[in-house]
Amino acid sequence: MLKGFTRSYPPLHMLTAEQEASIHGGALYTMQKTGMQIEHQGALSLMAEAGCEVDFEAQRVRIPSWLIEECLRKVPSQFRLKARDPKQDLMVGGDSVYFMQGMGMRYIDLDTWETRPATGAEHRDAMIVADALPNIHLAEAWEIYTDRRNVPPVMGMLENLASGIRYSSKTQVAGNIKDTEIFAIEMAKAVGTDLFPEIEHACPLTIQEGGADAAFRYAEAGIPFVPALSVSSGATGPATLAGAVVLKIAETMAWVVMTQVHKPGAPMAIHHGISATDMRTGNKVLSTPSRGVGTAMMNQMLRVYGIPIWSNTGFASTSKKIDFQAGYEKSVGTLLSALTGGHVQMYQGGSSTELMYSPEMAVMEDDVAGWIGGVLEGPIFNEETLAIDLINEVGPIPGHYMGTAHTRKWWNKEDYFPQVADIEAYASWAATGKKDMLDNAKDKVAEILANHKPLPLSAGEDQALEGILVEARNHYRAKGMISDDEWALYMTELELTD
Amino acid sequence: MENEILAKLGKAVKEYDAPGAAALAGQAMELGIEPSLALDALTESIREVGDAFATGELFLPELVGAAEAMEAAMPIVEKVIKQRGETRASAGKVIAGTVFGDIHNIGKTIFSTLLTADGFEVIDLGINVPAEKFVETVRLEQPAVVAMSALLTITAQEQRNVIEALTAAGLRDGLKVIVGGGAISQRFAESIGADGYAPTAPGGVSLTRELLQI
Repeated sequence: MLKGFTRSYPPLHMLTAEQEASIHGGALYTMQKTGMQIEHQGALSLMAEAGCEVDFEAQRVRIPSWLIEECLRKVPSQFRLKARDPKQDLMVGGDSVYFMQGMGMRYIDLDTWETRPATGAEHRDAMIVADALPNIHLAEAWEIYTDRRNVPPVMGMLENLASGIRYSSKTQVAGNIKDTEIFAIEMAKAVGTDLFPEIEHACPLTIQEGGADAAFRYAEAGIPFVPALSVSSGATGPATLAGAVVLKIAETMAWVVMTQVHKPGAPMAIHHGISATDMRTGNKVLSTPSRGVGTAMMNQMLRVYGIPIWSNTGFASTSKKIDFQAGYEKSVGTLLSALTGGHVQMYQGGSSTELMYSPEMAVMEDDVAGWIGGVLEGPIFNEETLAIDLINEVGPIPGHYMGTAHTRKWWNKEDYFPQVADIEAYASWAATGKKDMLDNAKDKVAEILANHKPLPLSAGEDQALEGILVEARNHYRAKGMISDDEWALYMTELELTD
Repeated sequence: MENEILAKLGKAVKEYDAPGAAALAGQAMELGIEPSLALDALTESIREVGDAFATGELFLPELVGAAEAMEAAMPIVEKVIKQRGETRASAGKVIAGTVFGDIHNIGKTIFSTLLTADGFEVIDLGINVPAEKFVETVRLEQPAVVAMSALLTITAQEQRNVIEALTAAGLRDGLKVIVGGGAISQRFAESIGADGYAPTAPGGVSLTRELLQI
């Protein structure tokens, strides 16, 4: 199993107990008074049977507090995520902290900063790099390069997921678009892995039919699922942080009740991210402190309920480049999320407000993840690490510690030394081409692609995966969701990648 | 009396007071005030708010608040215009909506609001709008422009379906179709036979003016 990082001290708290109670009470009240719009007849029936007040015509469910409390207690606070390589299994929850590959629609040219649809080969390479990076614990094949050249949109998730499964043995994120989760579940079964699927949610206070179907399907397959409850303050939710958190907690309650009455004890997590809105343009802004504060508040509330957490605080920056802005926007929020108890941090490689993904950025941010992990692990505290005898033995100058057995044993046990950050002295830096972190990351990507061999699928598994893809392609073509023109381009593109 | 009510109506828009604007519009119509004067009061106020938005003095919450106040008053005034068999004067009629399968509301709402503030008559069909709804509304309302939004790659294709449905219904000629949203590019717009694409809501307003040559 992959340990990831363990936070060795209690999570930082931002809310008082009174504030926690106000948010909880406000969310309970909202679910009783206004309730949730759930556009799924099966879910409505289940919830009516469980004791909710359901208006079937308006698709509105009002949920009594006792049922919410009862269902919150049923959500497991930890679950194991099985990877196709058992060494990469994860235990999500508790004090463990994992990092997840970030997301971004398009390939980015690092010379021009232009974006474009990615090829199959570029997707493969990005996944090989993610597989090699030590601090990416969960892979996100689906949501990197969702804009794949000549791949019809309806097949995007499945093509990307198959590429991810082939070129990485880490657990994969999946999702739900037009019932594609049916094929995603088949793929997972064929190679013996779990998935970590995020389920589409409509903010405010709405669960659409596709989202409910997907949550039920994943739950029935025994796969933990993750409703994605993002919000833009002042646009899809209240402009205040406290209000946005009340709304998100109310929605959390509705998802928990809907899925726990369907399958009690089904493992799940909640994916959250609160963003400010630029009130000149309506665009999401990822660079304000409210994003970090909202994360801290959500993390604290979800920990009270014992619901595992996927935080997207640092999943992207607003910057269009790999630069200082991207660095601070992504890393500071991620650090805060990790310190306040988020379990899975969506992080490495994505930027430009979901528009770009870069393997080079993923390499750079793997260093940041290592840095944050070092902070989480904290000091190792025992008689030996206190080093009292040693300090007294070495004494004052000319005493020193460089040659001691203690230093040899401990110097790299409590720290993370970066792979690509520039830590050279000036003279050697100047003499070796004045490379910065991005230059080093480019070299590292080339090195990984030349040397790293992901754990291959067996011939049978590979064949099964291909069979599912063929079935899905034909299914969506027959349903008219892939036109003849698209089909011709698609088939030619697949040959190019092969 | 008449001027006082009209001034209050205009003020209600600038104070983002939707119930107040609706009540004042009702009062004005009951008193037999010329509907065109009420329309002028409303559009003048929304233009002022639109201008203040353009210069950065006001922000979206104010712009949308003012537009909602105007939208609350408008049907009351329009009803009287229709009863008289007259039509409303505007820069042009635009039908806007987020296409089927897509529930992203904000960008489309900002676009509709900016257009309204710019003197257009906007029929906002909302989100998750099926192609048939676009066709039916175009047939009924005969707009100059249809504007479609899609944020997701997967739903962008639906814009193509709407254009095909409009063509099949014989409604495409003379109609301008524009597209926008996170998943759209100029190349995509051209590939589905749209007349124009804009990456932002203010860009969409300029594009509308450009296409209608106003």
